[in-house]
Amino acid sequence: MSALNALREGLTAAAMLGGAFFMFVTGLGLLRFPDVYTRMHAAGKAGTIGVALLILAPVFFFAGSEPFVSLRGTLAIVFQFLTTPSATYLLAHACYATRYPLHPGTALDELERWMPVVPDEDFGHE
Amino acid sequence: MSPWLAWITQFCLLVLFASALLCLYRIVVGPGAADRAVAFDTLSSIIIGMICLFCILWQSSLYFDAVWILTLVGFLGSAAIARYLARGRLFP
Repeated sequence: MSALNALREGLTAAAMLGGAFFMFVTGLGLLRFPDVYTRMHAAGKAGTIGVALLILAPVFFFAGSEPFVSLRGTLAIVFQFLTTPSATYLLAHACYATRYPLHPGTALDELERWMPVVPDEDFGHE
Repeated sequence: MSPWLAWITQFCLLVLFASALLCLYRIVVGPGAADRAVAFDTLSSIIIGMICLFCILWQSSLYFDAVWILTLVGFLGSAAIARYLARGRLFP
């Protein structure tokens, strides 16, 4: 058990614990937030950083032992940072365009000036 | 692999399982289709994390290719649901 090995396993454990914490926070946000936009806020930010940390854990663990894991992990992290926020943005845009109800405690709705209430012919939510 | 790392991996798998249960609750009782889509996106992220943790636990990078493939497939699903919600159909 060399010092380098201990460093590798310590980094792996730190990345795993951080990623699991952020994914649990994402689950709590999905459970407790009141409307769909705040749930997207939880899933878009904390979910992205949580899954990036979880992908980083095998990159640390297989460093030097298995080939191309760091390359594949970096590719996966780049894809995750590209796709998860853009999917959340697409969903939020679709929700606002089809008038999903905001929480009654919403203080400010600045988007209303730029996307006024024009229901999309005969299609609403549910 | 030292035994404390195996214990930490199993603990993190348990935490991920709990958050997957929270996402499943939102999928089952979510009031609208968009809530279910967001919860499904998060559930695919959690499954990606579980694959990573199982790679560490089994000390094999055999399934690590599934991670980025699952990322792209999950994005396609979410984008399709968003387009269907906005327009009422997938292809114009």
